[in-house]
Amino acid sequence: MTLLHWLLVVPALTAVLGVPRLPRWVKEVNLVGGLGATFALSLAVAREFLAGRVPAAFADALRVDGLSALVLVLSAFVGLLSGLYSVGYLRRNEERRRRPRPQEPVRLVTPSRRREFDALVPLYVFAMLLVCMSNNLGILWIAVELTTLASVFLVAFHNRDTSLEAAWKYLVLGSLGLAFALLGTVLLFASARGSLGDGMSSLNWTSLVAAAGALHPYTLKLGVIFAMIGYGTKAGLAPMHTWKPDAYREAPSPAGVLMAVGMLNGAVYCLLRVHLIARAALGPEFSGGLLLGLGLLSVAVATPFILIQWNLKRLLAYSSVEHAGIMALGLGLGVEAATFGALLHMTYHTLAKPLSFFSAGTLAQLHGSSDLDVIGSGTLARTPVASTLFVVGALIVTGSPPFGLFFSELIILRAGFGGEHTLAISIFLGCLVLLFCGFFYQLGRVVLGPPPESATWKKPLAEKLDAGAATTLLTAVVAVVSAFYLPSGLLALVHAAAGVVEARP
Amino acid sequence: MTADDVVILCAAGMLVSVYLMVGQKALFVAIRLYGVQSVLLGVVAVAMALSEHRSHLFTSAALTIGLKGLLIPWFLMRVIDRIGIHREIEPYVNIPSSLLICLGLTIVGYRVSSGLAEADHAVTHHVVGVSLSMLLMGLFLMVSRRKAVTQILALLSVENAVFLVALGATSGMPLVVELGISFDVIVAVLVLGILVHRIVDRFESMDVSRLSKLKG
Repeated sequence: MTLLHWLLVVPALTAVLGVPRLPRWVKEVNLVGGLGATFALSLAVAREFLAGRVPAAFADALRVDGLSALVLVLSAFVGLLSGLYSVGYLRRNEERRRRPRPQEPVRLVTPSRRREFDALVPLYVFAMLLVCMSNNLGILWIAVELTTLASVFLVAFHNRDTSLEAAWKYLVLGSLGLAFALLGTVLLFASARGSLGDGMSSLNWTSLVAAAGALHPYTLKLGVIFAMIGYGTKAGLAPMHTWKPDAYREAPSPAGVLMAVGMLNGAVYCLLRVHLIARAALGPEFSGGLLLGLGLLSVAVATPFILIQWNLKRLLAYSSVEHAGIMALGLGLGVEAATFGALLHMTYHTLAKPLSFFSAGTLAQLHGSSDLDVIGSGTLARTPVASTLFVVGALIVTGSPPFGLFFSELIILRAGFGGEHTLAISIFLGCLVLLFCGFFYQLGRVVLGPPPESATWKKPLAEKLDAGAATTLLTAVVAVVSAFYLPSGLLALVHAAAGVVEARP
Repeated sequence: MTADDVVILCAAGMLVSVYLMVGQKALFVAIRLYGVQSVLLGVVAVAMALSEHRSHLFTSAALTIGLKGLLIPWFLMRVIDRIGIHREIEPYVNIPSSLLICLGLTIVGYRVSSGLAEADHAVTHHVVGVSLSMLLMGLFLMVSRRKAVTQILALLSVENAVFLVALGATSGMPLVVELGISFDVIVAVLVLGILVHRIVDRFESMDVSRLSKLKG
């Protein structure tokens, strides 16, 4: 068994061990240990790649090049963070009681829900890793569908009216998007007109890129449009983003971060693979233009919704629509510097977004809801630590100067203004400024201001240093330190990924 | 009758099944229609396997007929039996106008398919034209109906349409990929069924227009 096999076996095994009824500490050790081992294995795979080998398995159906290696490490990292935070999150939820209603159980987390959670989170990580390493477009599709199926019950976790609504919308929209992506895959396959044979390897990304000159242009274009709509739905690019705010609000924070960062990276990765085939066959304008358009639209659509937002986690969802848009836009520009900027953006976003999610999750747990009008203003006075961390997270994800996302956005902007899409980039810059203001307007409403009258307001739970708070602090350290110091290996992976994207035949 | 005739006839039958699905309200009829549609898809695969000597298509035909023609309809029947809801209520768009819209969608589907790689080959043109029309009609069905089960059926019809394109335009995907896709489809139907159960438990209805609290 090679490293790649182990990288799939470990999270799958963790998922299986999550099913039986076991004492709580065993489950926690299993989840964190399994995801930690997965992260270590992904680092080992990346190291093998950097040493000059191309890890592959199953007759090249799985293959790790620079792009895969980067996304693989980022996904496994988010998986580990999610596992760590879920320990504290679930413990805290088990202590909290639901407001008593006659037909509902009093406990917030029932044992069967807990078992669901322990099995589905590693399964989700497994599917994400499979997405990142599959070279075969069919396997890629199967893995993306698996991520959707694994996450539906995580969205429905709290079993409220709104969770079921969110889960239903998520599943129907996600499956529809994936049906489109499947059609896109079939058409990409059809555009080769049988010249690649009909074995497993005929759907390999590497063989499609190699045969790009012979692909039938009309079929290919149709396939690219369908595949981009399909995988764009998973990435949450506008106008297919409508599931995102609902799902993020309802999903428990550890699952939310997997969707917002892990799945986002995975879906952008799929878009990029399709884009590279199209670019090799049709030149950069067609699919690059599609990516640019979808990206710009996402950034533009996210802006007004952030200004009128009424819920903390939905705010983060629209911020995630924005970041997906920035990545798509950077990749669509087709300039080498912008490509590097977009991949760097993906890296910094992965390192920074968990902080926002975890601190928002903590705030929501302490105040009993993530709706802004339930939380009330002046949280800085009532829950100082979580509020401060949330402000730091917001500074980073909105792209404020000393932090990484500022630099990656700057690189994309500079490359864009040097290219031919000046108008699009000007609109993009305007939206970024508005988004920044909007985010801080919302933040000011929640964090600052006088605390509400104590007689009418429910007192928040007291802050204490438990497992959840410790994980949030850890992610804060990661997010801040990464702005000033990226490990050289990670930077080498970003360069390797940009090299895969920019490699011209 | 040559194999090509069988293929065209079955593809046309699939198109008719979607029209019938749009044209009536009883849920159990819609489920049966989906079953018939899947069996026709299986027959297309068998005809192609025989005429082009591709033995792996037999496997996918058996899978299609067994899983989508029998197992999924049986499961969905059980779901509506247990929740006791048998009819679609008045759709957002009434049935005569729905049928007219579907006619337009069929024309669009055929028009788009005429530019494809092997469109000069009559069978491919028909099959891909039918499947793109089915895809568009499935989308329309999804946005115009209220019951959760109808939405599932629309989704599954879209999925059948994609399989028909795969047969028509490429004579079948690699077997491993097809197995994986079938597995995913089955799991998706199970998950959808469980979710419908939970929704009915909670809302005492499977009317998706009730799911409208989340906005903005």
